[in-house]
Amino acid sequence: MEVLRRAANPWGQEVLIGIGWDLVWLAVVASAAFVVGHMVWVRLRGGFTHEASEPGPGSSGLPERVERHSFAARAFHWVMSAAMLVLLVTAFVPVLGLQFPWVTLHWVAGLALLATVLWHIVHSIGWQDLGSMWVSARDVREGFAELRQSLDPKAPPAPRAGKYPFDHKLYHHVVVVVSFGAIATGLLMMLRIDTPFWDRNTYLLSDAAWGWTYLVHGLSGVSLIGLVAGHIYFAIRPEKRWITWSMVRGWIDREHYLAHHDPERWNVGVDAGARRGAGAIADAVARAPDQDA
Amino acid sequence: MATIRDMMPAFELFQPATVEDAVALLAEHGREAWALAGGLDSMDWFKDRIKRPRVVIDLGGIPDLTGIQERGEGLDIGAMTSLSAVAADERVRSRFQLLADAASQVATPQIRNQGTLGGNVSQDTRCWYYRSGWPCYRAGGNTCYASAPQAMNREHCILGASRCVAVNPSDTAPALVALDATMDVRNRRGTRTVAAEDYFVGPAIDITRMTALKPGDLLTSIRVPADWAGARFYFEKVRDRGSWDFALVTVAAAFRTAGGRIDQARVVVNGVAAYPVRLHDVERLVTGAPASEETAQAAGDLAVQGARPLKYNGYKLALMRNLVRRAVRSAA
Amino acid sequence: MAEKLIGTDIAPPDLVAKITGRARYAEDFRADGMAFAKLLLSPMPHARVRRIDAERALSMPGVLGILTADDVPQRDAPAEQCLTNEPVYEGEPILAVAAVDEATAAEAVERIRVDLEPLPFVLDPLESLRPGGADAHVQGNVIVDREWKSLKWTAEEFASAEAAGRLPMGEPTSEWSHGDVDAAFAAADLIVEETIVHQSVTHHPMEPRSNMAFWQNGKLHIFASTQSTARTRAALASALELDLEDIVFVAEYCGGGFGSKISGSTVMQIPALLSRKIGRPVMHRVTRYEENYFGRARPGFQGWVKMGFRADGRMTALDLYLVEEGGAYGSGDFGTAGAVAHLTYTPENVRVRAVSVFTNTPPKAAQRGPGGAQIISMLEPIVDKGARQLGVDRLAIRSLNAPGSDVRFGPRLMGLTSVHAREALELGARTFGWDEKRMLSGRRNGTKVTGVGIGLSPYTAGSRGYDGLMVVRPDGKLHVHQGIGNLGTHSIADTARPAAELLGLSWDQVEIHWGDTSLGVPRSSNQAGSQTTHAHTRANHAAAEDAKRKIQEVAARTLGGAPGDYVLDGGRVFRRGSRGSGMSFADVARRAIELGGHFDGHELPDDIHAETVTAASKVAGQGLVGVAKDNYGGDGAGVYSWVVGFAVVELDTETGVVEVVDYTGATDCGTVIHPRSLGAQVLGGSIQGMGMAMTQRWVFDPKWGVPFAKRLYTARPPGMLDVPLNAQWAAVGIPDPTTPVGAKGIGEPPVGAGAAAITCAVADALGGRCLCRTPLTPDIILTELEGLRKPYSPTATHIG
Repeated sequence: MEVLRRAANPWGQEVLIGIGWDLVWLAVVASAAFVVGHMVWVRLRGGFTHEASEPGPGSSGLPERVERHSFAARAFHWVMSAAMLVLLVTAFVPVLGLQFPWVTLHWVAGLALLATVLWHIVHSIGWQDLGSMWVSARDVREGFAELRQSLDPKAPPAPRAGKYPFDHKLYHHVVVVVSFGAIATGLLMMLRIDTPFWDRNTYLLSDAAWGWTYLVHGLSGVSLIGLVAGHIYFAIRPEKRWITWSMVRGWIDREHYLAHHDPERWNVGVDAGARRGAGAIADAVARAPDQDA
Repeated sequence: MATIRDMMPAFELFQPATVEDAVALLAEHGREAWALAGGLDSMDWFKDRIKRPRVVIDLGGIPDLTGIQERGEGLDIGAMTSLSAVAADERVRSRFQLLADAASQVATPQIRNQGTLGGNVSQDTRCWYYRSGWPCYRAGGNTCYASAPQAMNREHCILGASRCVAVNPSDTAPALVALDATMDVRNRRGTRTVAAEDYFVGPAIDITRMTALKPGDLLTSIRVPADWAGARFYFEKVRDRGSWDFALVTVAAAFRTAGGRIDQARVVVNGVAAYPVRLHDVERLVTGAPASEETAQAAGDLAVQGARPLKYNGYKLALMRNLVRRAVRSAA
Repeated sequence: MAEKLIGTDIAPPDLVAKITGRARYAEDFRADGMAFAKLLLSPMPHARVRRIDAERALSMPGVLGILTADDVPQRDAPAEQCLTNEPVYEGEPILAVAAVDEATAAEAVERIRVDLEPLPFVLDPLESLRPGGADAHVQGNVIVDREWKSLKWTAEEFASAEAAGRLPMGEPTSEWSHGDVDAAFAAADLIVEETIVHQSVTHHPMEPRSNMAFWQNGKLHIFASTQSTARTRAALASALELDLEDIVFVAEYCGGGFGSKISGSTVMQIPALLSRKIGRPVMHRVTRYEENYFGRARPGFQGWVKMGFRADGRMTALDLYLVEEGGAYGSGDFGTAGAVAHLTYTPENVRVRAVSVFTNTPPKAAQRGPGGAQIISMLEPIVDKGARQLGVDRLAIRSLNAPGSDVRFGPRLMGLTSVHAREALELGARTFGWDEKRMLSGRRNGTKVTGVGIGLSPYTAGSRGYDGLMVVRPDGKLHVHQGIGNLGTHSIADTARPAAELLGLSWDQVEIHWGDTSLGVPRSSNQAGSQTTHAHTRANHAAAEDAKRKIQEVAARTLGGAPGDYVLDGGRVFRRGSRGSGMSFADVARRAIELGGHFDGHELPDDIHAETVTAASKVAGQGLVGVAKDNYGGDGAGVYSWVVGFAVVELDTETGVVEVVDYTGATDCGTVIHPRSLGAQVLGGSIQGMGMAMTQRWVFDPKWGVPFAKRLYTARPPGMLDVPLNAQWAAVGIPDPTTPVGAKGIGEPPVGAGAAAITCAVADALGGRCLCRTPLTPDIILTELEGLRKPYSPTATHIG
């Protein structure tokens, strides 16, 4: 298998030019294998039944629908998703053999992704609670407990999560790192193609620097195949679908809230607005009437 | 590994006598196989040790691939028919002078005797960076050396660039596109027919290939339909010297006129993109228009809209514009 | 009566072998156990070899050995080694591998790893002269008084030149002048000034510089491609530090050299050294790709010229500045260029400044008319510009400024033996029909516009003092031993014809021996500088006079009477008036052998060269030996021939394509020896010049410092369809009075004439606009016609 592609430059010096395309197949096959393996494993395990802990105090005051994602957040997610899918399709489908003019679509989608990401950064800093995405020691413990529980049905139920479960946070952060790698290198690579913004300059960086740029871009890309495939797979799994719906509708119902979330850590009570920053959550807060005033 | 050129490495040579055998061999060896027609492009690659197929399938011994058959007023030309045979064929000359003109301007008499129509349309680009064996996009790398700010690119493209800026070097390709020819491509699964216009592939779609041929494919025949038989044709190839030279820009055009008016038109330009560029907008503009100097001027101006020159090939815009004008003028 | 040999056509003695393919060129030779060599070329324009790892190559079956720079005679730059550890151009040979066949050798080369340290490089001499610009060699970029120096001009000079769109002109390394140019410009009625660029073009002879060598009994046997025979052996002996007689040198045919193979080539040493190392014969077949790199090239010029004219067209002042692209190992074309410019226009006030800069481009060498061809093709259209502004006829301005035989020119005010430039102009104008054809200037036919041009081109054409060697053998024939090379010009035959005529022989009574030093070859000139016809008609004439004297003496001794009573004709010697009596040459030869002594070469003249002594001793006893040094004198005066080219071109204003529709070349080269061959030289050389002006191109990538146009089809020398089929030639035919046969050389002057006729005709078609650069390809012309922004600076070269 070709992991790295190297070539002799015009002076006969060996330079790195990017990842081996075999890695694309590897990512595709590994993703498929994971999905199939997971499905089989779940079937063998007999499905998931989340042992919901007893609802905690204060549940009586909860609304029927608990808002989880604001419209802005959902819009970001889906626009970003569309951009990401376009990027992956335009990047790898031609490599896998179906050819079409992909370059312009790819960089336009890349810019769209960049725009959504920038918007998301501004929005999350200014209007969302960054803290809710912070991975604390408790999150890690919770994550391990969840893992143990899923591996061993007899294990004690994992503690309920805050607004975002540990695995979601982790996924987000990995995607942030990988996407940042892809976007940064992608921007550099745009300097080598014709766009309306500038005249291309192949020699802006050294051979070696370009090689690393292509390598990082390629590795980010194939990583995203796996990350996106896994994300979509879980999004459509029956036991996770309520979360997916929340990304469509914006809310989850009270039952799911109580079953999966710890109101201590994600307080959506009526007095939530007053307790801003104490582990309560941005979306709800942001939409509270007193914040709009 | 040090580089050495001009010394052909060994390969396994097959000389099938039938198309079936050739197709079977191509299928068997896949990406490691190379279909050898006249060899004028292939030998350069082999001698430079840049393209190193393990297996070479010489098509020269397949009688079915050679010769010109009539199909009504149209012609089926075997892919291995020599360019001189195409240029000299009375049926080609009387019905499709455009193709005869194009074939007769390829390189030199010896090359036309050895070179084939199928090879001429399927040949690789002559970009000197690519031909130097540099790891450019077309060679599977990640760089276009020819479009760098200081690069030497007078012979490169002004249209259809997508990272790669190479041009198609074929003289007969634009003529065949203008004549609405089709290509019969065989592989193990059967025969497919590809319109000439679709046979040539730009870098936006496939940066490593010039044609629709994929591993396992064999171009068997070029069919020129009767549609343009006996039309008014214009072919002009502009090059640095009178023979043994690829075009800077070539125009191939076909017109049907009546009463000083252009009823139908095909205008195709080569040497400006990685594929022969059919100028649909120009064809629309001139169709129904009088074959006048005004029409020619407008056609030329329209032809180069959207063209984007590199550092050293700005002249190609003027050249392409002027050749399109001449082609339209010739319909008068 | 014997035939008239001078001035009549013959079929050259090598003709049949050449056209039937039986002629053996260097790569056609074979020897038992012959191995093949392949080279590893530098991929970088300037680098230092840090390490060579050949282990994987040497362990291959069939690989016989390796030769590296450490195994070859060491030379200090700018002298060139055949293999190097500090390549100064892309394509310079670093090592050679020998194997049982070429495929194995090539694969072995591929398996070698050479660790190279890239060093700064420069392609454009002006870039090297810029402050902070790279030097082509670590030692510097110019050589002044045999010392390396890093010459840099000031940033101010570059800035002001760029602002003015002219050549930067800092401190030159060479300067000479006569008169006072500044005063002359002040007094001139018209001043014309231009920046000029003449491209560097490769030689690309049909036959690459292949060769084969083996050692036998301590002697090197070598089979090479070269322009000269005797002198190449001498050059090789000196390079390899061998005695001349330890080399058996064979070079029967040469598929073109054009100055790139004057005394062979540096790579010729490789098979010799490799063969010595591995103990087997080694063949090195040079490829077209390699020929592009080490096959030599004409140096390019970036220049500036200022001409002052009097109202009647007389050039009163010429100021010339040349920056020469010296390539990897230097060049000196600028010297001849300045002298030729002075000679052609004879301005009383002249200044020539020049700097030849080493660059990391492939090595330069003489190319047919070195210096002269470039400068004539660039200056002639500028003279036309002056003529146009003054309203003077272009033929008249050339006649007015052309020299007569009393000319003195160049830095040392050299004189010449004879000059008939004006006669050549007149004859050419008549043959071409100048009076009618000049009226075609500017004529429009559709999109085509006609241009008419004249180019007047002198070049060196002779030398003196070489030896002739010939034998009348008992077969009754005259055997002429030629040490000159058979470089495709017929001079091996043509220079023997005056000798045969002097001896009253028919041509079928003459045998030529050439191309193999073991046959015995006399001290000869290099086949360069167009000197062969002049030098060797003289040398053979001298030897024939010696033979004639001896034949008369043998006849007198045998048949009685005084030698002076005897005449020679038809292969017999007889008393004047009694043709029926006398002796055949066969009898003379036998008698000479009996007589021995000086008759059969056992006693030799004192003044002949040591090489000729050795050669003569090889033929001694074979018959009556004629051997002599050319003592006809005339030293001190230069020998120059002239060609004037007249061309009509049609320039397509929509495509920029130039078609040469008519051409005439007229020459002053003294007595015509062989008309058909002369015509081939006049027109062939002119066509080479047309290619240089129009079609040839050598492009370099500035980022990587490597050339393109590595193949014949991309180097684009002109072909049949680029030249007019009805081209004519004519010769003034006035004998040079200082040489017994009256003949001068012809090889080189036509190049400048052909090139200049085209540059002038194209400028004429453009309404007098001189583009002042070569090549004049459609892109360059169309850019001008369409008024497009030029993508290159006024001094840019190697572009495309």
